[in-house]
Amino acid sequence: MASLLDALVTGIVYGGIYALLALGLTLQYGVARILNLAYGDFLIAAAVFATLLYQRYQLSPLISLVVLLPASFVVHLLVYHLVFVQLERRRGSWRAMEASSILLAFGLSFVVSGAMLAIFGGQLFSYSYLLVPIQLFGSVVPANRLLALILALAFGAFAYLLLVRTRIGTAIRAIAVDPDGAPLAGIDVRRWAGFTFAFGGLICAATGVLISMFQTFNVPMGVTFTLKALVVVIMGGVGNAVGALFAGLILGVTESFVARFISPGLTLAAVYGLFVLAVLTMRTGIFGRALR
Amino acid sequence: MLEIRDLTVFYGLHAAIRNVSLQVAPGEIVVVLGANGAGKSTLLRATMGMVRPASGHVLLDGLDLTSLVRRNLTAQVVEQGLVLVPERGGTFTDLTVRENLLLGAFPRRARAREQELMEFALSLFPRLKERWNQRVGTMSGGEQRMVAVARALLSAPRFLLLDEPTLGLAPVLAKQLLRVLPQIAAEGIGVLLVEQNAHLSLAVAQRGAVLSNGELVHAASAAELRDDPVVRAAYLGTQ
Repeated sequence: MASLLDALVTGIVYGGIYALLALGLTLQYGVARILNLAYGDFLIAAAVFATLLYQRYQLSPLISLVVLLPASFVVHLLVYHLVFVQLERRRGSWRAMEASSILLAFGLSFVVSGAMLAIFGGQLFSYSYLLVPIQLFGSVVPANRLLALILALAFGAFAYLLLVRTRIGTAIRAIAVDPDGAPLAGIDVRRWAGFTFAFGGLICAATGVLISMFQTFNVPMGVTFTLKALVVVIMGGVGNAVGALFAGLILGVTESFVARFISPGLTLAAVYGLFVLAVLTMRTGIFGRALR
Repeated sequence: MLEIRDLTVFYGLHAAIRNVSLQVAPGEIVVVLGANGAGKSTLLRATMGMVRPASGHVLLDGLDLTSLVRRNLTAQVVEQGLVLVPERGGTFTDLTVRENLLLGAFPRRARAREQELMEFALSLFPRLKERWNQRVGTMSGGEQRMVAVARALLSAPRFLLLDEPTLGLAPVLAKQLLRVLPQIAAEGIGVLLVEQNAHLSLAVAQRGAVLSNGELVHAASAAELRDDPVVRAAYLGTQ
C-alpha cells in the first residue's frame, strides 16, 4: 500500500513536469508549425547551465531561472528568424516549410547536442539542492521534487492564462487555428509565430532547470526528453494546453508504476505503448480539439 | 480615397484580372458585379496583398501601399486601414464572439477607438450580444457573417472590402446584412462590395461596375446599372 502511494506521488511529480515539458513543444508545433526535434537538447543545455551555475557560483536554480529563461527566449527568437524564416523564404510557403523544418530541426538537434558533447562529454550532471524529505499524503517526497512540481504547475498556469486571457494570447491561438485568416485581423503571423516559438523555448529552459534540481542527467539524454514531449503533445492534442497537463500526468504515473512494479528498464517501452495506443485510438488527442 | 490603378493578376499564364482601375471615396458604397470566375475575389485579394499582383498600384489617401501588397504583407495593409471580409470566412470559428471581436481590434491603430467601435458594431448587430461567449463555428451562417463584418469594423478601417457577403444566405438575411452598409458608410468608411446579387447590392450602392472575364466594364451609377439591359439580362434575371 505504501509503495503504491509512493509510486503515485512520484508519478504525479514527474507528470506535472512532463506537462510543462510538452507545453513548450506544443506551442512551437501548434503555432509556429515547427516540430522542434532539438527541444530536448535545448532543455539539457538549460539544465547543464543551471548545474554549472550552482556548482561554480553556488547560484540557486531559482536565480538561474531568472537568467536562463530570457536567454533561452532570445536564443530561440534568433534561431526562428535566422534559421527557420530563411528556410520559409526559400521554400516559398508555410506548408512547404512544415516538412523541411522537421529535417532542419533534426539537424539542429545534432548541432546543439554535438556542441555540448564536445565541451562536456557524456559525464553525468547532478547537484543536491533542497534534499530535505517532506511528508505528503503518507508518502515521503524530497523537497526539491515538490518545489519543481509546484513551479511547473505555476509556469503552466501562467502560460495558459496568457493564452486565454490576453489579446496577444488570443491572437496566438488564432494563428494556431487559422494561419491563413490571421493576417486579415491585422496579425503579423511571422512575428507572433516567432514570439511563440521563443516563448516555447522559454518554457523548455524552465523545464530543464526544474529537472536539473532533482534528476541526474547527461547530454545524450536530450533525445529522450524530445520523445517524451512528443508523446505527451500527441496524446494531449497538438496546441492543447489542458490536454498536455492530463497527458503528462498519465505518462508520469504510468512510468512510475512500471518502474516500481515491473521493471525500470521498461519505462520507455511503456511510454511507447501509450503513444501507439493514443495514435491508434484518438485522432486529435484526449480532448478532441486544439487549444482550449 | 481608395484608388486601385491598373491592377493585373496572373494565375500561371492566365490573367485573372487585367488592368482593373477603380476608386472608392470615403463614405461611398461601390459594388462590382460579376459572375463566378470573373475575378471578383482576385480583385479584392490582390488589393489586400493576399495574392501578388503582376502590375498595378493600390493607393490609400495618396499613400502608396503597392510595396506592402507586392510583398504579401496583408497584416500591414490592415494596419493602414484597409480590411477585407473574405467569402464565407473572416472569423476564427474555434474562438468565441468576444475573442473574435477582441482580435478585430488587434491592429495598434484600432486600439484607441476600440470602445467606440465595439458599441457601433453591436448597435448594428445586437444579436451578437446574446451570443457573446459562444463559439463562432456553432452559430448560423447569417450570424457568422455578422461576426465577420463586426470584426472587420473593429479594426477601424477607412475602407471596408466585402467579398460576396450574402453568399449562401436566405434572401431575408441577405437583405438585413446589406442594409447595415449605408450605416457603415455614414461613419465615413468607404465600402467596396463584390456581389453576384445585383438586385440587393445595387439598392444600397451609389456606383457600380461589371467585372467580366477579368476586365472592368460598364462603370456607372447604381441607378444607370439597374436600367442597363446587359446588367438586367445577366444579373437581374429580367429582360
